[in-house]
Amino acid sequence: MDGLLAIKDLHVGFRIFEGRLHVLNGVLLDVREGERVGLVGETGCGKTTTVKSVLRVLPTPPAVVLGGEIVYRGRDVLKMSRRQMTALRRHELTAIFQDPLQSLNPVFTIGTQLRDIVKDSAIGQGRRLSRREVEARCIQALQETGMPDPERIMTNYPVQLSGGMRQRICIAEALSTNARLLLADEPTTNLDVTIQDQILRKLDELVDEKGASVVMITHSMGVVRDLTQRVNIMYAGSIVEAGGTRVLLEAPKHPYTRGLMASVPKLTGEGISEGIPGRIPNYLDPPSGCRFHPRCEHRMEICDQESPPFYEIGDGHRAACYLYQEAS
Amino acid sequence: MNDHPILSVDHLVKHFPTKAGVVRAVDDISFDVAAGDTLGLVGESGSGKTTTAQCVLGIYPPTSGQISFDGQPIGVVFSRRKKELKRSIRIVFQDPGSSLNPKRTIKQILSVPLKVHGMGSTRERLSMMNELLEMVELPPAEYLYKHPQSIGGGEKQMVAIARALATNPRFVVLDEPTSALDVSVQGKIINLLMRLAEELELTYLFITHDLSLMRNVATRVAIMYLGKLCEIARTERFFRAPRHPYTKMLLSSIPVVTSDEESLKPEKVVSQGEIPSPVNVPPGCSFHLRCPVRMPICSQADPEMRDLGDGRVVRCHLYDDEAT
Repeated sequence: MDGLLAIKDLHVGFRIFEGRLHVLNGVLLDVREGERVGLVGETGCGKTTTVKSVLRVLPTPPAVVLGGEIVYRGRDVLKMSRRQMTALRRHELTAIFQDPLQSLNPVFTIGTQLRDIVKDSAIGQGRRLSRREVEARCIQALQETGMPDPERIMTNYPVQLSGGMRQRICIAEALSTNARLLLADEPTTNLDVTIQDQILRKLDELVDEKGASVVMITHSMGVVRDLTQRVNIMYAGSIVEAGGTRVLLEAPKHPYTRGLMASVPKLTGEGISEGIPGRIPNYLDPPSGCRFHPRCEHRMEICDQESPPFYEIGDGHRAACYLYQEAS
Repeated sequence: MNDHPILSVDHLVKHFPTKAGVVRAVDDISFDVAAGDTLGLVGESGSGKTTTAQCVLGIYPPTSGQISFDGQPIGVVFSRRKKELKRSIRIVFQDPGSSLNPKRTIKQILSVPLKVHGMGSTRERLSMMNELLEMVELPPAEYLYKHPQSIGGGEKQMVAIARALATNPRFVVLDEPTSALDVSVQGKIINLLMRLAEELELTYLFITHDLSLMRNVATRVAIMYLGKLCEIARTERFFRAPRHPYTKMLLSSIPVVTSDEESLKPEKVVSQGEIPSPVNVPPGCSFHLRCPVRMPICSQADPEMRDLGDGRVVRCHLYDDEAT
């Protein structure tokens, strides 16, 4: 399996009136061809900023890339021209966002929006489709997501559909382009569990069929466990732990991951831990060294001086924490 | 804990007439909450959980049916309720960001219920507010003069809890109190709520869509689907052996995080179909369109609530012969 996407030491900030918010603090992430990777973290930890940096859709200003590289198949995304970037978005990268009502245009029918995407991605591949071909591809894309009566849905506006249907349309749009990398940013957070289950299973099947790679961004550990092979835990703008999903969730190592896992309510009914004291740092003046140190119960002297590198714990499992300095 | 029901809801119906037709938000539900219990009311969005709670609080008068608190009927609008009753039943809303006035300090926010209910003099009220904040583990000196926007989401929800407790209630409705918060913050709020329930002898009606949370919090669980109850049972029993097909589908759809949990889930029930609109409820059992064990009778007759003994009530034709 070759490397498809590699984010190397990415630093992104936002210039605001009060100063500079240093949000992404050296994000390291790699995705191999055909692989499904999870990116998990709580509100405000920089998950969406990471995705938007990869797609280069962060508004600049206020956002500033302070350093690092995003390498997609050997080319640095951050150095691409506007034209190259458009081409990349047209048929290589694709995304599904959390709120389908915001990603679908309310004043056009589903058909209009879907046809545009299908036509555009065909042009990207150097082909011009006839009207009939476009229509057939649209209907096929809707059918693939398990949508009943695609012809009627094409004439509907987004508001006429339920939340689950809208999200299916976003998936149909995203996957109709035959993209190689799908960035799914909390695609099921707004949906009910039974509908979430349907959508995720459908997404799973389709991704398998098309052989795309996925970066699944979510705050739900359960979703990651069901869908991904490797997971990255993010806290305050950096990845604190990464490893094989099952292994990591059964035996989390980083104090933050451990705290997080203990606070997830479980069906075994053993009660819920008190959670993690304190809250996510202020990005205007983030803590020095390891950004988790003010909330960490295993804090050592070195923690507020230098930010920890990744220490290998075993078989691709690594944690950015000085507790594991000796283990590696 | 005693078995005397503090709240009993009997054949409650709440319909909203709209241009598109009648929305059957709550359609004939009955349940009791015993004093000291925590009843978890679980359902997907649009299932009528919040409308049920709002009828209990008096925000809406019921279309028909009876709600009694302590044996007294209370099914009237809020403005016609006695002050004493309003003091006894309180609510904590889902999103503390919108339930707390951003222009008021925490002191002003907490003083409203105390003033409305004429509790104490100005000086006494200040010490009451200090006690309330201490109760929810926020140092009063630090928080009393802050505005909601300068504190975190979890802390805001704690202020909302303090506000609900200001009138010494006996019954608190918790309407998804932690679903707007991160899991690491949720733990603290839940543990606080559970401790307060014990110390102040509170009874909770806990509304949520998170079944794993209910496993750890509720003493009894009730499942709602399209304005109707599907199943009520004691928590432990409920999770060990769910009976209603919808409950099984719901439980098997939960994404879990450990393999211990995986083994506790019922056999996979493949979730299919959309949740119908409450304006256009299917005839017969409202779940029959999505039900994997559908029978011919399901599309014709609506099943009744059957008492299967042991405090378990199920509304499904599968158990028509089993009722005791």
